[in-house]
Amino acid sequence: MDRNDHRKLDQLRAGQSELENHYVDELLAGRLDRRQFLRKGAVIGMSSTLMGAILAACGGANNSSSASSTSSAAPSGTPKQGGTLRLAQQAPATAINPLTIDDGGGLNMLAQTGEFLVFDNNLLLTLQPMLATSWTPSASGAVWTFKLRPGVTFHNGQAMTAKDVVYTFKQLSDPKIASNALSTFTSVLSPDGVVMVDPMTVAFHLESPNGHFPYLVSSDNYNAIIVPDGTDFSKWQSTFVGTGPFTLKSYTQNVGASFLANPTYWGGKPYLDGSAYTFYASQPPQVLALQGGQVDGIVQFTPQGAQSLLNSSTYNVIKLKSAGHRELSMRNDQAPFTDPRVRQAVALAMGRPQMITALLLGAGQLGNDSPFGPRFPSTNTSVPQRVQDLTKAKQLLSAAGHPHGFSAPLVTEQYQEIPALAQVMKADLAQVGITANLTIEPQATYYGKATYGNSDWLDSTMSLVDYGDRGVPNVYLEAPLTSSGPWNAARFKNKTYDNLVKQYVAAVDLGTQRQLAGKIETLLLAETPIVVPYFLDGLTATTQQVHGVNPTSISAIYLNKAYIS
Amino acid sequence: MATFILKRVGLALITLWILSVIVFLAGQVLPGDPGRFVLGPLAAPSAVHALDHTFGTDRPVLTQYWSWISHFVQGDMGKSYTYQTAVAPLVIKALGNSLKLAAFVFVIVVPLGIAGGVWAALAAGKPRDRIISVVGLSSTVIPELVSGIVLIVVFGIALNVLPISATAPPGAGLPTQLYHLILPAIPLVLILFGYIEQMARAGTIEALNSDYARTAILKGLPRRTVITRHILRNSLLPTITVAATQVGYLIGGLVIVETLFHYQGIGSLIVTAATGRDFPMLEAGILVIGIVFMVATLVADILFSLLNPRIRYQAAE
Repeated sequence: MDRNDHRKLDQLRAGQSELENHYVDELLAGRLDRRQFLRKGAVIGMSSTLMGAILAACGGANNSSSASSTSSAAPSGTPKQGGTLRLAQQAPATAINPLTIDDGGGLNMLAQTGEFLVFDNNLLLTLQPMLATSWTPSASGAVWTFKLRPGVTFHNGQAMTAKDVVYTFKQLSDPKIASNALSTFTSVLSPDGVVMVDPMTVAFHLESPNGHFPYLVSSDNYNAIIVPDGTDFSKWQSTFVGTGPFTLKSYTQNVGASFLANPTYWGGKPYLDGSAYTFYASQPPQVLALQGGQVDGIVQFTPQGAQSLLNSSTYNVIKLKSAGHRELSMRNDQAPFTDPRVRQAVALAMGRPQMITALLLGAGQLGNDSPFGPRFPSTNTSVPQRVQDLTKAKQLLSAAGHPHGFSAPLVTEQYQEIPALAQVMKADLAQVGITANLTIEPQATYYGKATYGNSDWLDSTMSLVDYGDRGVPNVYLEAPLTSSGPWNAARFKNKTYDNLVKQYVAAVDLGTQRQLAGKIETLLLAETPIVVPYFLDGLTATTQQVHGVNPTSISAIYLNKAYIS
Repeated sequence: MATFILKRVGLALITLWILSVIVFLAGQVLPGDPGRFVLGPLAAPSAVHALDHTFGTDRPVLTQYWSWISHFVQGDMGKSYTYQTAVAPLVIKALGNSLKLAAFVFVIVVPLGIAGGVWAALAAGKPRDRIISVVGLSSTVIPELVSGIVLIVVFGIALNVLPISATAPPGAGLPTQLYHLILPAIPLVLILFGYIEQMARAGTIEALNSDYARTAILKGLPRRTVITRHILRNSLLPTITVAATQVGYLIGGLVIVETLFHYQGIGSLIVTAATGRDFPMLEAGILVIGIVFMVATLVADILFSLLNPRIRYQAAE
C-alpha cells in the first residue's frame, strides 16, 4: 500500500463510526480477509460503495481469499432473455403460511415471491440490502434501526412502507400466535419492540443487546418475508403477495407451482419469463427427473443417492458451506457420562474425515464438537481440530474406571444419512470398547412433544439429532447448551459457558466475537457435552444451460438473475 | 337380487363406520400432534398450543370425533390441518388419479392374465405352461421399486422414449395422460399378472378335468366351443374374486409407484395425512378407499352370481 492509498484510506475512515473503523483495522491487520470484511461490514450496515472504496485503497494489502465461486454462481457472458426454468424440489409439507412454514420445500415457496429486509447471500457469505437499504446498531447493540427501500410495491399494487414491516414483525414475534419465528425471536424481540420511526424507517428495540440482529431479519429467518399490513397469513397461499421478482401464477398442493416475472420489480425485471416447480415426495425421482430432462435443476439435494450428479460433469453442482450439522449429545447427568473423560473418549473415537467421505461423498466440513463451523467468520480457527485417537480414548476410559468399556443406548431419527451415521458411530465406539445400543425411530416418535420428559430426542442417554443451517450460531449455542436452554439434550449446565454465550451474542464487533468464540470452543472441547462430527454442505444441481441461480444453504433458491442459455 | 344388494350396502355402511372409529382411535395413539407437525420439532411450545387450538385438536376426543362425523355425513369432509384448504377437492382429485391408473392397469392385466392362464392350462405340465407360470410368478415378487427404477433408467433415461413422470402436463388430453401412465403401469402389470394368470390357470385345469367338460368333449363338440362355452365361464369365477381383491391395492396401496413416478394418487395422500396427523384428510382418504373397495367386491359378487347360479340361489334364500 503506497502513501497515496493511505491518504485515501484515512479520508474514508474519517467519517466512520468506531465500530466501522475497527473492521478496517481488522482488515489491515490481516485478521479479516476481504470476504469477511465485506460480510462483517454488511452486518453493521456499511454500504457496499464505502467497503469497495476501502478495499480499493487497501489494494493488494490483503487479497488472500476469494469466494469459492462455482461456474453457475456468477453469470458469465450475456444473459439471455426469456424461457421458463423448470426446477424439482421437495413438496412443501404444509400450507404455505409465512408464519408457520418450517420445511425446506415450503420456505422456498416463500422466497419466490417474498422478500426480506436483508439478504444473506450464501454464495458470497455476506449480508446484502434487500428491502432495507441500510441498518445501524445503537452503541450497545440493543436497538437496530433499518432504513427501508423507497419505491417498492407489493404485487397487489400497494406501496411498501414501515407500516407493513412493523405489522410483519409484530406478528412473527407475538408469543400468543402460532409463529415459527418464535424459535428465533423468543427473548430477543417482543411485539412492543417493533417501532415505526417514520414511514421509511423501522427500529427494533431488543430485549438484550444482540450483535447479530440483521441476520435474524434476513433470509436466514425464512418466515420473515415482508407482507402487507393486515395480511391474513392463513390465506396467504391463495395470493403469495410479496414484493419479489416473481408473482404467483398457480400453486397446487403436492403437485407444483409456477411463477411469472414481475415486470415492475424494483431490482429490474428478471431474465426469465417465469419458473415452474415440480414437487416430489423424495429425492430419487428428482435425480431421475433431472437426468431424464424433465427438469432443469434440483433446488437442494443430499449426497446419498445422488452420486450420479456429484460425479458427473454434465451438471453444475453448486456447493455451499452450511451450518447444518449432526449433534450427538450425552447426558451429563447420567452415568457414565457424568465424567468428562468418558465424553472426551467418545469424541476421540470418531473418525470424522472417513464419515465425510463415506456418508457425504466429500460434501461436508469437519466439525470440532461445537456449533462453530466454517460458515461463520467469528469461528476461531486457532482452536485445534479434534482428531481420532483410539489410544487416548482407551486411556481416558481406563482412568474414568471403565477399562473394559461399557454399553449405553443411542437413540436417533430416520432422517437423511443419520441412520448410517449412527451405524458408523457405533462401529467407531466399538473400537474403544463402548457398545452403543442403537434405536432408530421415525421423526415424530423421536422428537415427541419436544419438551423434557416427553421426547426421546431430549431424554435419551445418547441422542443423535440433525440441526439445519442458520446464518449465525446463536440458537445453536443457546438452546441445546445453556443451562436454561429448551433443547438441552445433554443436560449441560455450566455457568462459565452461559456467560460466555451471553457476551458472544451481545458482541457487535468481530474481534470480540472471535475471541469469545475461541473460549467457547475450548470450553466445549474440554467438557464435550456434544459431539459435532461434521457440517453438511448445501448442494444444488442444474443443467449446464442454467446460469445465475443463487441458492442458499437453507434450500431456498433465488432466480432474479437466472437465465437459460 | 335387490335384497342381496341392500343387505350388502347395509353391512358396508356399518363396516365404514367402524373403520372411521378405528382410524380415529389409531390417530389418537400416534405420536406427535398436528400443530407440532406443521411448525416443526423445534417450534416454541406456545406456538404449537396456539395452532392446535385453531385446529380444535385440544378439545376432548369425543367432541372432536362428533364434530367430524356430524359434518362428514352431511358431505362436508372438513379442512386439512396441514394444507389449510378443503379436504374434498384434494381427495377427489387424488382418487380420480388413482382410478385412472387402476383402470389402465386392469384393462391391460385382466385380459392378459386370463389369456395367459387359459393358454398355460391347455398345455398343463408342458414347457409352455412352465414358462408362463415361472415368468408370471417371478415377476410377481419383483418389488415395484426395483422394476420401476429399471424401467425408468432403461426407457426414460437411456432410450428416452417414455416420460418418467406419470403426471401429464396440465390440460393434456386423455391419450397424452395414458401415454404418461405407460411406465408406471408396467410394474403393476408385472405384479398382478402372476396372480391372475395362476388363478385362471387353476380354474381352467379344474374345469378341464370336470365331468361336464369331459361330457362336452365326448359328445363331439369342437374344442373351441368347449373352451369358450363351458370351461372359460367356470374358470373365470375365482379369477374375478382375485381381481376384485386387488382393487384395494391398486387404489390405495401404490405409494411407492406414486412416489417414484411422481403421481398424486390417494395412497400418497393418505401417507402424507398420516405423517402430518392430518385427521380430516386421513379419515376422508381411508373412507373413500373403503367405499371403492366395497363397491368393487359388491360388483365382483354380482358378477360372480351372474356367472354362477348357485350363489344367486343362496342369496335369494
